[in-house]
This record gives sequence, C-alpha cells and structure tokens, in this order.
Amino acid sequence: MSSQQMAQAEPKPAEAGQFEPRILVFCCNWCSYAGADLAGVSRLQMPTNFRVIRTMCSARVDPEFVLRAFASGADGVLVLGCHPADCHYIGGNYRTRRRIALLRVLLEQYGFNPDRLKLEWVSASEGQKFQKTIKEFDAMIRDIGVNPINEE
Amino acid sequence: MSEKTGSVLVVGGGIAGVQTSLDLAESGFKVYLVERKPSIGGVMAQLDKTFPTNDCSMCILSPKLVEAARHPMISMLTLSEVMAVEGEAGNFTVTLKKHPRYVREDRCVGCGLCAEKCPSKVSSEYEVGMSQRKAIYVPYAQAVPMKYAIDADRCLWLTKQRCGNCKKVCPADAIDYEQKEVIEKLNVGAVVLTPGFQVFDATRKREYGYGDFKNVVTSLEFERILSATGPYQGHVVRPSDHKTPKKVAFIQCVGSRDEKVGNPYCSSVCCMYALKQAIIAQEHTHGLEPTIFFMDIRAFGKEFEDYRARAENEYGIKMYRGSRVASVDENPESKDLTLRFSSGASEVSSADFDLVVLSVGLEAPASAKELSDRLGIKLNEFGFCHTGVYTPLETSRKGIYVSGAFSSPKDIPTTVAEASGAASKAGAHVFMNRISIDDVIKDVPEDDVKGQEPRIGAFICDCGINIKGTVDVPSVVEYVKTLPNVVYAEENKYTCSADTQELIKKKIKEHKLNRVVVASCTPRTHEALFQSTIKEAGLNMFLFEMANIRDQCSWIHMNEPEKATAKAKDLVRMAVAKSRFLEPLSKSRLGVTPSAIVVGGGLAGLTAALDMAQQDFHVDLVERTGELGGRLNKLFTPEEGKSPKDYIKGLIAQVKASDKITLMMNSEIEDVAGFVGNYKVKVKTPEGTKELDTGAIVVAVGSEEYVPKEYMYGQDKNVVTMNELEDKLAHGHFSSKKVVMVQCVGSRNKEAPYCSRVCCSKALKNAIEIKKKHPETEVYILHKDIRSYGFREALYRQAGELGVKFVRFDEGKDPVLGKVGEHFEVIVEDTVLGSPLLLRPDLVVLSTGTRPNPDNEHLAKLLKVPLSKDGFFLEAHMKLRPNDFATNGVFLAGIAHWPKFIDETIAQASGAAARAMTIISKEFLETQGIIAAVNDDVCDGCGVCEPVCEYRAITIVGTGVPDKLKAVINEGLCMGCGTCVAACPSGALEQKGFKTSQILAQIDAALEGGAK
Amino acid sequence: MSKIKLAHYWGAGCGGCDVALLDIDEKILGVAEIADIVFWPIAVDGKVKDVEAMPDKSITCTLFNGAVRNSENEHMAKLLRQKSAIVVSFGSCACYGGIPGLGNLTNRKEILELVYTKLPTSDNVERVFPQAETHTKDGDLELPVLYDTVMTLDQVIDVDYYMPGCPPTTNLINEFLGIVTAHVKEGAPLPPKGAMIASQKTLCDECKRKKAVKKIDRIYMPHEIAIDPDKCMLEQGIICLGSSTRAGCGAKCLEGNQPCRGCMGPTAEVLDQGGSMLSALASVYRVEDNEALLSEDNIATLMAQVKDPMGTFYCYTLPKSIIKRKVKEKKQVKKEV
Repeated sequence: MSSQQMAQAEPKPAEAGQFEPRILVFCCNWCSYAGADLAGVSRLQMPTNFRVIRTMCSARVDPEFVLRAFASGADGVLVLGCHPADCHYIGGNYRTRRRIALLRVLLEQYGFNPDRLKLEWVSASEGQKFQKTIKEFDAMIRDIGVNPINEE
Repeated sequence: MSEKTGSVLVVGGGIAGVQTSLDLAESGFKVYLVERKPSIGGVMAQLDKTFPTNDCSMCILSPKLVEAARHPMISMLTLSEVMAVEGEAGNFTVTLKKHPRYVREDRCVGCGLCAEKCPSKVSSEYEVGMSQRKAIYVPYAQAVPMKYAIDADRCLWLTKQRCGNCKKVCPADAIDYEQKEVIEKLNVGAVVLTPGFQVFDATRKREYGYGDFKNVVTSLEFERILSATGPYQGHVVRPSDHKTPKKVAFIQCVGSRDEKVGNPYCSSVCCMYALKQAIIAQEHTHGLEPTIFFMDIRAFGKEFEDYRARAENEYGIKMYRGSRVASVDENPESKDLTLRFSSGASEVSSADFDLVVLSVGLEAPASAKELSDRLGIKLNEFGFCHTGVYTPLETSRKGIYVSGAFSSPKDIPTTVAEASGAASKAGAHVFMNRISIDDVIKDVPEDDVKGQEPRIGAFICDCGINIKGTVDVPSVVEYVKTLPNVVYAEENKYTCSADTQELIKKKIKEHKLNRVVVASCTPRTHEALFQSTIKEAGLNMFLFEMANIRDQCSWIHMNEPEKATAKAKDLVRMAVAKSRFLEPLSKSRLGVTPSAIVVGGGLAGLTAALDMAQQDFHVDLVERTGELGGRLNKLFTPEEGKSPKDYIKGLIAQVKASDKITLMMNSEIEDVAGFVGNYKVKVKTPEGTKELDTGAIVVAVGSEEYVPKEYMYGQDKNVVTMNELEDKLAHGHFSSKKVVMVQCVGSRNKEAPYCSRVCCSKALKNAIEIKKKHPETEVYILHKDIRSYGFREALYRQAGELGVKFVRFDEGKDPVLGKVGEHFEVIVEDTVLGSPLLLRPDLVVLSTGTRPNPDNEHLAKLLKVPLSKDGFFLEAHMKLRPNDFATNGVFLAGIAHWPKFIDETIAQASGAAARAMTIISKEFLETQGIIAAVNDDVCDGCGVCEPVCEYRAITIVGTGVPDKLKAVINEGLCMGCGTCVAACPSGALEQKGFKTSQILAQIDAALEGGAK
Repeated sequence: MSKIKLAHYWGAGCGGCDVALLDIDEKILGVAEIADIVFWPIAVDGKVKDVEAMPDKSITCTLFNGAVRNSENEHMAKLLRQKSAIVVSFGSCACYGGIPGLGNLTNRKEILELVYTKLPTSDNVERVFPQAETHTKDGDLELPVLYDTVMTLDQVIDVDYYMPGCPPTTNLINEFLGIVTAHVKEGAPLPPKGAMIASQKTLCDECKRKKAVKKIDRIYMPHEIAIDPDKCMLEQGIICLGSSTRAGCGAKCLEGNQPCRGCMGPTAEVLDQGGSMLSALASVYRVEDNEALLSEDNIATLMAQVKDPMGTFYCYTLPKSIIKRKVKEKKQVKKEV
C-alpha cells in the first residue's frame, strides 16, 4: 500500500538553534483522527513537532485544555473535528466552533496571537487535508514565533 | 439436519449486506456475510461524498464496516461465493466456494511490506483503473478486513513460479501459495441477497467516445477524481494533461432510459449524484463551470428538491434541459470536447468543454444470472431480482429475500431501509432460535484494582519494519522503562499477532499489571482487540491505552528517524501518563420490555406491527381514528393485479386476527417517559388513559393529502383529485372524453417546495388505466418534470405509447383554469413549443401533493424527536439511518418520514420493525463504558448541559429537597461524546474514559519540560 | 481559659474585608470574648516590629485579605505566616486576586506611566516616579516595590483555609469563627487543611430563580432590559457566572436583581473559572437549524456579542487562572480596523 501513493516532499530538517514549535493537536475519534490515520496509511510526510490527543468528539475539548496547553508552553494548538453536518454526535462540532471562536477572543485579551489556536475540519477521507493543515499551521507558528510564556 | 437454525446467510458485503447483517446480529442471529471480493464495502466505499448532505462517504460507512467485522455474531466470509442453496425456508443448506486468498488471514497484520516489494502492477478496481495496485493488495486503504490477497492471475509466482518476493519479505509468514479452493456447507434458516449493482459500461455508447477520448470519464471515475484518497488527491484535473478544467459537462441518462442499450428504466440516482458532483467539483475548484445536460431532473427524495435549487441558485450550476446529448467529439490536439445536442424543436447546437462526465446508470450485477440459476430465484425483464409492489423484499423463492440495488436501482437511504427490512423478513424464519450474547462471549471474572498503585505494562510494536524501519524501538522500550509506574516494557515484532495476545496475558499475571499500554498503530482498528485480550486476563477492558506510533508517527516521518523516535517516546509517555489515571469502568445492564408500540394504523404501521408479531413480540397499535388502513383505503387502481385498497383489507384482517397485536382505536399518545428498552407510554383511549410499558416505539403516523384551494376545486364537480379519479375509474363513474391532469398541485411551490415523489407515477398509472378502459378519451398530463424513477419509467413509456400527451410548464408558470360557459379552458405555457396551449377538457384531475400531519409537532415533542423544516419527521441520519431517530429506541416508517410508494413504505416499515427488534429481542441492553457521569456533590441542575445533549440523555430533576435540582444522565441514551462535560460550568460532569484529569495528564506529558 | 490570638491584615485590597469583619453585628462581642486582637492595622494600633517580636506560631489565626501586589504585601504575608498557627486566605483578592488581579492585564511600567504621567490631573513633566529607595539629607526612605504581577496569597505562602467573597459574607465569617471557637473551647477538630470555608456547590444552589431551558438567543447587558426577578438570569440573556461560581454568599447579587460576577471563585472541580464559564455560555448560545450552512465568520460575529470575555469571565480570578496574566508576543499582530 505504501507504494500506492507517492510520499510527499519531506520537510526540511531544522537547523540547530532554530525555533522548533511545539504543537498540540486535538482530534475527534471519528473524522479527524481517522484522517490523520489515513495520512499515515498514505505515507504523507509532515513536520514531526505535533502531538495528537484523541477525544471522542471535538466538543470534549474544554477551553481549559487549550489554556493549559499554552500555559505549559505549547506554541500552537489545533482542534480538528468533523465537518459541519458530519459530526458523529450530530452537533458536537457546532458547540466546538462557538467555544473556539470565543476562546480566540479571550486569548487575544491575554496578549496571545489568537492564530496560535486554530479550529479546522478534517474528515476521515482527508489525509491530504490533515497533512496540509499540519504543514500550514507549523509554518504559521514558526512565523508567529515562540510562545511568550516560554520566554519568561 | 432437521433442526431449525438461528443462522442467516447474507450474500454481498456492500452497505445493504452490512446493514442487514448488523440488524440480524443485533437481534440475536448468527450471520454468515459472504462477499466475492477480498474486502467488504461495495460501491459506497468508492464514493467521495453522498447527497443531499454531502457527508463524507467513507466517514459514515467505515464505522459500520468495522462494526460488522468485529461483531461476534457475524462471520465474514470474503473471496467466497454461493454455489447452491438447497432445502427450504427455515432449513437451507448452502454450498459455499471459498477462493484462495494465498494469504493466511490469521497471520496477516496488514503491514503492506509484501505489496511494497511486489513487482507486478495491476490496474486498481477501486480507482476504476485510474491508478495501479500490486498483484498482492488490499482493495483500498481502509479495507475491511485489512488482510492482503494475491491476485492469482497477475502473481508471478502463481503464474510462472518466479519472484516469491512477498513470501520472502512477509515478517508474519502469512503467504501461502498452496492455498486451494475450499467447498463448505452451511446450515441457515433464511437468505438475504444484497449483491448490489454494476455501473453501465460506457463504451457501449460509442457516440460519447468513452475509452477513446481521455477527457470523457464516467461518474464513478469522477467520484474518485473528487475524492481526497483518489488518483489526484481530490484535485479536479482532467486525465489527458492533469490540468484543471474550467468547463465540465455532465451528460445524464448514459445507459438509462435508453431502449437502444436495453435499459429502458431510470437509474433513480444519477440526477442527484450529478448535482452533487457538480457542487463538490465547484467547491474544490474556484471558477469551475459545470453544466448538466438532462431530460428530467428527478429530485424526488427527502430534501432533494432543496439541494437541486441550491445547486442552481447558489452554486450557479447550469442546467440544460433537452433531449439526450447526440454526440461528443474530441479536438485531437487540445483534447477538448465538443458536445452536440438539440436545442428547441429541430435545431442542433454544440458547445465546447474541457471535461465530460458521463452519468452512467445502474445495471443488475454481473452475478445476477448466476445467482438466479444457483438459487432458483426469478429475475425481472431488466435482469434485476424480481419483486412485487406488495412484496418488495421477497424473491420468488420462499425464505430468500433481497435488499438494495439488486431489486431495482436506488439510493443509499432506500437501500438501508430495505436492508433492515430484509433482516426483519429473514428473522421471521429463525426467531425461535435466537442466541444470547452471553452464550457467544464468555465473561472472565475481573480483578479488583481499586486503590492499587498503578502497575503499567507497555508493549511496543515493531510492526515488522513499519515502525522499526523509522523508529528506534529498543530505545523507546528502554525509555518507557524509566517512566514512573511502568513495571514492565517489551518490544514485539507484531503486538497484534495471536501469540503476542497470549504473551500479554501471561505478562499481566506475571507482573501483576493493572494497566496496559500498547504503542503500535491506531486505536480505531486495534483498541478492541487489545481490550478483549486484557479482559481475558481478568483486567477491566478500560484499563488500556494506546499510543499510535505507526500511522501518526513512523509513517508520516519516514525520513527523520531521530525525530520520529523522540516523538514516539513522547507519544508513549502521554499514553502512560493517561493510563495512570485510568479507572475500571463498568457497563451496566438494563432490562428490556419485550414489546413495542406502533403509532399509526396505516400501511406502514400495520406492516411494522405484523412483522414484529410474526417474531412473537407483543405490539400495541395506537390509531387516532376509528379506521385502519390510512390512505390506502382511497387507492383503487390495481397494481400488479391487486388494488391497494384490497391489499390493505387483507393486512387489516391479519392484524385483527393476530393475538400478538392489541389494537387501540380512537386513541392517542398522551405522554412518553423512560428510555430505550423501558418506555412508559400513556395512551388516551375512549375507555380512559392506559399506561403501557414498552421497549421501542415506531412512528408511522403517515401524512395528509393536500386539499387544493386552487383550480376551482370544491366549486366544480368536474375538478377532482387523483384519488377521486381512482374512485371514479374503479366504480364505473368515469365517462370523460378529454382529461387534463395537472401535476405538482401543492408540491414544488412556495408553500411546499418539496417534491411529493409519487404523483407523477400515479398520474401515469391512472392515465394508462383511462386509456385501457376508454381508448378514445384524450389524456393530457401537464407537468414540471416527469419523475417516474426506477422501473416506473416503463409507465411513462407505456403512457406515451397509448397516446397520453405530455405538456411541460416551467416553475412559476402554473396552468390557468377558466370556464367559458359550461366548458373548461386550460391555458398552459408549453416550454417545448414555446407558446401557450389552450385545452378544453371535460375533466380536470389534480395531482395533489403530500403534506405532513399538522400535529406532528405535538407528537415530536412527546417523543423528543425532531421534525425537518418541511414538517416531516427527521431521522437520525439522512443517509445511513433512515429508520432511526437520534433518540434511541424510537423508529420511523412510511410517509411520516417522507412521501413514498407502497413498496417503499412496506420495506421501510419492515426496516423499522427490524430496528425495533434489535432492541426488544435483547434480554438486556448494555450501556457504553465511556459515558458522562454527574458528581451530585457539585451539581445544582443549572441546566447548561440539558440542551447541549443531542441525544436528550440529560434531564434536570428535583433532588427531593424543595427547590434543589440536579442533572441526571440516562445511561441508556448517553453516547459518550463529552459535549456536555466541556459545557458544564461547575465541573460536576465528567466523561468516563476521557476524564479531565486524564486529558490534562496527556497535555502535560506532551509538553513536559515546557514552561510552568 | 486563655483567649486565642487573632490577627487581621490587608494586602492589596479595598478595606471591604476589614469592614466585613466588623459587620458581623453583635457576634463581634463573641469574638472579643474568645480572642485578643493582636494585630489589625485598620482597627487597632500596632506596629510591624511588634509582630516581628512575637514568637513563631504565637498568633492562633491570621485572616489575610487582599492580594499580593508589592514587596510589602509579600513581606507581611511571610512574616504573618511565620508567626501564625493558622493562616486564612480571606476574601476574593487573597484567594483569587480579585479586582486588583485585573492588574495582570497590564504591568508595573504601564501602571506607573499611567498614574504618574497620563491622568488628567497629572502634572509631572519631570517624569518623577516613586522609587524603592530615596536618599534625603534626613535619612533614607523606603517604599514597597510594585510588582509586575498580582499574586494570590497561596502563590506566596502556605495557606491553611480559604474564605472567598468580595467581601466574605457574615454567615461565612460566623461559620468560621464558630469552628475556631468550638476548637478552642471544646477541642472540636478543625477542617482539613486547604478547606474552603464556603459551599461545595455552585451559586445555583442558593439562587431562588426559576430555571427552564438554557438556550440563549441574544446577550444583554443588565441595563438593557427589564430583568425578570424570578427567572434565571442566564436564560434572560444576561451573563451570570452563578453556575460556575462557588456558593456560600447567599446569592445576594441575584436577590438584588443583578447577575453573579463570580467573586466566590470556581468550585473545587474547576481549574479555571473563566474558561469553564466561557465554554458553558458558548455551548448554549444559539445553535441554529441552519447551523451547517453558517460560515466561521458568521460564528465569530455571533460570538462577538460577548463583549470583553476577559472582564466578564475573569473579573475576580485572573491571577488564579491557568494563564494568570497577560503575555506579550514578540511579534505584534496588526489588528484590523
């Protein structure tokens, strides 16, 4: 199967001393975690610096988890869920996006660049989109820079 | 063997077969699911999205496939075919031929090394030939079972005794070139056929150039092109030059409604899938301009008309209505395409496109003839399985049933409804031999680990070289040993192999492990396996955690071994951190009342009630009026030699004769309390309120016929509804010389924008009836589209042949009826002629639409189920759960769901009965382990959680202390999503298995060494 | 029987907590009966050096109110900890940072800049700022150093009990004094260390308003509508933190027809009062039938109706929140106008 699809271009190795973002990714069990698995099955290469935490639904992601991640030094947090109307639990993702929208406003009030928190929809068949989301988010976080909490 | 058996054979592993199997298995029957291919999934697995919700097809299908594969009551027999079925209903002997896989299923772990090293390339069936697979392969990435198979015709070893790479590299020693065909015999009580369909071979329409012109593709190929997993990763490009097309033409009815190719019927789904593909293509590619060339747009299903309107109005998809496209020509240099088609009465136009998609029709499967011969079932004139309008699930042989596209082309929801229906029918032959789940799975007594310090055992998998090739597994093992509470860690070549399961059990005992962590692949496919392993060793199955170091580490960081190793360590550390906080969870068992209530005594309600009574369940049938039979009482024109009125009479007699069914006439549901398996329902009857205990509720309340306010209805006796015409025809009161039928009266207008589905075919049926009885009478049908889908297309043809005249008018240009003296005058803008047409009929027949019952809202509130925006009942999922409500234990059938035909109603009613029987056939229901729980010490019933729960599993109740409230979770209804837990402002809610402390431990472990 | 020794000190607070202790009516006589006030700057004359002279742990109980916001607050907190057997974090500021805690949205430099140069009444062209040490010919003067970050008492010293409230209500104070009295007089056991002298439940437990379905269609400021005094505040669209706030105050604000602003802090199960309430509000705020068709921008607009989430959800608890204070990104983002 690994030869079915061409391995995508690999990310450049980080130079010594270069800022290496630490990214936490919350994936819902049914869509985005499956999408991440599919990226793996398809051998789509991507940066190594993210760690996935699986929840049953993106709506389990309590804003407190996101705040804790930033307080513990995460440079970026991605929350991935099922596309609107695709939620395995009917409407969990609608709650998620409300919370994330409000949480981004709060993060801004905390002085964070709100783009450090991103909500994206990745379906079980979107291995490609998972890869793209990780790559783009990684690039964006590199551009934003290190979490100010880590600098203090 | 003379003893009756509790087993059923299901032939075909597409969505229909899988649904039938799951429903039977959940009702306590042993299922043999036979699939000719190496894996199940069928055509639905190939689809990108599904209409009208644009759900990701694989996302919704794959959980069902996995569930079927794991179900202890389902034996999945892939690469197998049925050779013969002998005996009779209740006691069939099935002869099965198992083709060799050449890979031992018990050993293959699906690592894929073999395919990597296989030199023989074959065009991929799954990708419709647009990309290649190897001779040793799995059909698609998420295939179930995830077991490789060797294509014997293309394998170098099997054909020429050369190569043998796969055997050399397989680390699990799973390759077995010596495997031979095996003949097996099975004893079953019933058979369900679900072989599906095949798509029309587009090369037969030579004029469209498919096969010659690279940029002419079939709709199935286009589906793959749209798919993120497809040959172009979801980028819409044309095959010739991989450039993004701008102008894309969809040609409808390729291989459908076409006598020349021998397929006079309509394929029912192509209009909708073309709209879907046009929408999705446009979403993928900015500026793409799709044009759909069609004859009629058949958007007859639930929310379809809305979807069509959105496609046209919001997406700006061009719709070109005309006769069939005449031809496609290719510019040999640019590979662009020119379509020729008629415009207006006799002119021919042409237009250029970058890409042409042929909306190919559905044909009977290639295996139809074989199945017919081997099983002794009749096929119809189109080569599909023969069924009847009143027996939509029955083949010509008793005890053998059919569901899905094998009996006629149909969409997925109709297929799924039928699939459940077939399970009900099959179950009627085996119900006396139900098997309890406790007889299948033996329970091991559980060790009590409460209060014990965590003792974690970690098993790190090499997955052959899939993980080890990138990740330094020994160093991960050494690292894990240093983590707190880890008392044992080891490396396995394949942690999932059968011998490793034994090893894990041994180590649990040896080291007194009370938590197990496996670092290997994805929990989505393997968690259940390891959970059952630790369960067998006496550990609670929830004391298990997985780290995904293959799919989400080694495979996506193949060129960075050091970083991948560091990440693997992090992932295992996170899993270990969570596992420290894991707690044993119990699934509680709730008793079930083995009876059901059916609300509504029309066709759907009576059918559902009889199906359940047939399997010996008590049914309370609640009918609001004093009469059973519903709308069928008014339908007189015979179908297949019997009028609906006569059919319903027979059904009513059966219901009245059944000692299992209690009829409650002139009665209404007053109150519903309780939950799945244990409802308490108050019914208001003429004798006072009765309280019933029941396990499940079937909603079959039907709908109303629209009563026209327009076209002088009620003012002139010669303006009648279609039902009144049937009455006249049946009772000799018809003597008109010129009849005008007006379609879409009360449908597809501002007030009711949806299509009522049945009116076109009903008009055709009655027009034919008139022409047969009174050949001299002129009949005109004024319509917006003729939506005689499926085999009903034959009615359209027949009506035309009998001289019925069709006049099409545009939306918003309804015909005008006037009266001059004693004569009617109908003026209609004929869109084909482009000018108004004056007709002087002596009878005007109105094809009145279907309207939802006005009091649906009341019942919906009582049952806590939703209505669609049109006012019909809204099922749990429009694609895959047509019979269910999101509220567990409440089911749906008939035109309360959506307007539909008699056969469709019967199938869905049986389907609802089957779904209800998956509940009431059980001695007990088991709650999920991962559910929400309330901490009563903290909760004050603030009520934030209550509306957040989509399953209505939370209620705010009194605590016994005046004015004090609290939230209560109904464990039978909670699905364990955790939405309420994150919403809870007081911290009183927790999600078992995903507790806040557990997730925080993962977060902290992931970021260990960071700030704070 | 000898009397216990009681101290009451204020850090960064408003004095309300001190008044609250005086506000317990005739029970104050009971206090005098069991306790000698050894140190209470607002009420009793006493010097720091007197405290310094006391033997360690000789004060039976210190009630410390106010947050820790400067070096003097910290010094006194540590001194009183050394001299006291029991230290009670008294009031919202000591427990959670309270209103002074909102200072964590800015920093020392910005505060001094504002107060000494930017106020309408400032006349400070020389830009003279208070200094920790000033040398004059009469000797050296010392001023406490203002910190960048406001801290809660337990972020500076070990705390035995917490009594939240802005200020703690009479009933809580009485309850605690009763416990101490019983301990002193009858040897009754004290609560476990770390105990919260308040309810375990949320304010909804004490609130008498009627609750129906939590579904909010629009958010109002309290002055924008006539508030129904019998109906759940949140259900009327007014952001009330009651459901995420610890009970014990008697729901006095709600009795006064005003929403709870969360001064009692979160329950024991909640890490971050603001985050928790934000999630609750967002979860019940207008989930529409056509939800699937809404864009992310639509959602952002919808949620923007919640003005100032920080001030709304962290009014009293910012220093005790997960993030604790405002941070400064190196790279500033340009805000769209």
